[in-house]
Amino acid sequence: MNTVAVVEDNADNRLLLQAILDGLYEVVEYENGVDALAGLAAHLPDLVLLDISLPGMDGNEILARIRADETLRRLPVIALTAHAMAGDREKYLAAGFNDYITKPIVDETLLLGAMEKWIAAGRAGTI
Amino acid sequence: MTDTTESTGGDNELPSTDATALDRLKRFGGGKLLGEMISLFIVAAPERIAAARAGLDAHDANATEMALHSLKSSSAQLGAMKMQRLSEAGERLAHGGSLDGVDSIVQDLAREFPRIQQWLETSRNAETPQ
Repeated sequence: MNTVAVVEDNADNRLLLQAILDGLYEVVEYENGVDALAGLAAHLPDLVLLDISLPGMDGNEILARIRADETLRRLPVIALTAHAMAGDREKYLAAGFNDYITKPIVDETLLLGAMEKWIAAGRAGTI
Repeated sequence: MTDTTESTGGDNELPSTDATALDRLKRFGGGKLLGEMISLFIVAAPERIAAARAGLDAHDANATEMALHSLKSSSAQLGAMKMQRLSEAGERLAHGGSLDGVDSIVQDLAREFPRIQQWLETSRNAETPQ
């Protein structure tokens, strides 16, 4: 079973993702950027779901550190965010996220489809 | 549960709640997930309103924005539509660096929350007969 790292500070969002991903992925949770970066380096997942608004180090900074790290740089990373204003999608993709899913999660098939797509791309080495 | 909405007046007569959000949570994880999400929200929402108020008291636009951003997301996931709209309006103001007008929005959130709590608890109890 593929492993997905969820970086999310809100317990309700972590609980929701656990329910959606239950039985499909092994889920590893991190509540902040420091723990996430240490955990990702120790146990490389197949994909990262990364919240943007995190206390301390935000999702953009975590992504920048992932992309600057030789071990982590090819990880598929999907932004999972309630920032859904015009232009946000383009902004996050330009920053280096592979995909962008907005909260609240209304259609879980969009999330699961994006995860499947980018895990396959990661395995194919096309990231 | 149906896709009914409830209007509580004001706020341009837009609905206060959206029961389809609760149906969606049940689809994701059954009544267990719905109950747990409601329980978390009932605890976390007042904390986030308090954090937004503390940010206002400290003239800290970033802290206010973060608190309202989290509240917006959780409110939307649980169908608390008026709370979502209020949180988003406050978040936008704080994001622009201005806290003018945010105080009244936070007061509106504090007034709306008990109504939402009652609606969610009723919905949860309907799923799990006491």
